[in-house]
Amino acid sequence: MAKKWGQRVRNWMANKMDLPQDVMMDLPRITMIGHIHIYVENHRGLLSFTDKELRLLLKQGQLLIKGKGFVIKTILPEEILLQGKIDQVIYLNEDAGGTK
Amino acid sequence: MKNQWIEFLYGRVTVRVSGKGLERFLNVLTRNGLHIWHVKRHGTETITFKMRVQDALKIRRFARKSECKISFLQRSGAPFLLKRLLKNSGFMLGAAAFLFIILLLSNMIWGIEIKGAKPATEYQIRKELDKMGVKIGKVQFLVANVEGIQRQLTNNIGALTWVGVELKGTTYHLQVVEKNEPKKPEQSSPQNLIAKKKAIIVKMFVESGQKVVDIHDHVEKGQLLVSGAFGQEDHPELTAAKGEVWGETWYKSHVELPLVTKFNVYNGKEEQKHSLLLGKLEIPIWGFGKPAFKHYETEKNVHKIRFLNWDLPISYVNKTIREREVYERSYSNSEAEKMAVELAKKQIKSSLDEDAMIKDEKILHKAMENGKVILDIHFKIIENIAVGQPISKETPDDREINNH
Repeated sequence: MAKKWGQRVRNWMANKMDLPQDVMMDLPRITMIGHIHIYVENHRGLLSFTDKELRLLLKQGQLLIKGKGFVIKTILPEEILLQGKIDQVIYLNEDAGGTK
Repeated sequence: MKNQWIEFLYGRVTVRVSGKGLERFLNVLTRNGLHIWHVKRHGTETITFKMRVQDALKIRRFARKSECKISFLQRSGAPFLLKRLLKNSGFMLGAAAFLFIILLLSNMIWGIEIKGAKPATEYQIRKELDKMGVKIGKVQFLVANVEGIQRQLTNNIGALTWVGVELKGTTYHLQVVEKNEPKKPEQSSPQNLIAKKKAIIVKMFVESGQKVVDIHDHVEKGQLLVSGAFGQEDHPELTAAKGEVWGETWYKSHVELPLVTKFNVYNGKEEQKHSLLLGKLEIPIWGFGKPAFKHYETEKNVHKIRFLNWDLPISYVNKTIREREVYERSYSNSEAEKMAVELAKKQIKSSLDEDAMIKDEKILHKAMENGKVILDIHFKIIENIAVGQPISKETPDDREINNH
């Protein structure tokens, strides 16, 4: 419950004080360049990686990227740059029934 | 993104990891600050990625804890390139030697061309050049420069009036002008011989023509000596008068000679300095420090280093530092007088023909002023006073009459 409250306060602050959401709420910032590059900041680690799929752990939930011919161009503790043909970017939220 | 060039400099390794829990392994690596890029999956149990060489040493520690096997596939980057270069250093050596040889050959003397000289003179010049070290196969910058060669040749070979030395690429071109003693043009056109100076005739030697004056005659300048016209008065036959008329002539000369003279002379001590000139920067190679001499003069020779057709911005500089000394020459009065007379004689002789001779000299006036000997000397000289004067055909008679 306390976590929820904290979340709410942060959300409220972000809204009212015009602060960027990703800084306030530890959300991933995802930048895509067309469908060839995807740049994810603020992830919490690599869960699985094949040339058709990349699964990243987030603070809340997971991020699933599907496509073809994936190559991780760079990987740092909290950043990842993926190259390939990206078809889908899917959020898998724990709250909404966990991983599917 | 990281700078790929830094990685290139440090060197990078391609790593293949196979086993289970590859993703976990990657997470461990990244969290421990190892840089990983270009991660690719090959099949279900293998991935490859690239990393820095320094990091590759640490990877073993992490690999032991995981269930993965690692192997290194390919190494690239500067350190490995360097290693390869060292391994193939023979090629490098060859390339360097090649450049060096071309450089050396570009700075050699490959030809000496002499133009405008008779074979005899040419042989003499070649011998002199050999003595100087200017030979085919010598390195150019160990040889005196063009001006020096020119000077030495003109000084040492009497038959040369002038020699132009030019360095074109690797060939010395010598343009020679010989002292062609101009042969007195065979005068076939009618001429008289007249006196070039006031004189008393001492000796006459007439080849052709008619004598007009005789020994012990006093002649004025321009007076007819030997006539080219003889025969009848009305229709004189004209020939070229030839011959020598020796007359006693008089010269006055004025000389001044200081008793004490200071000369700057080299005492023969010298130092050599060698350096390379890169643009404006001079790098000494041999001969450091200031010269040990108090008074000295520096002669600087700059030799451009050439590569094939081009002048490189590198020059070889050779400096010769010669010690200078002040030498004082002093004469006593009688010595000074003698020297002054000698000096006057030399001056007179240089203005006369070679076959003229000094018969007598007489000091007219002697003075000693401000530490100088001042002499006025009178010289009696015997010389050939005859010069040709062409007879113009229109008025041969007029001249005859005038001269008589």
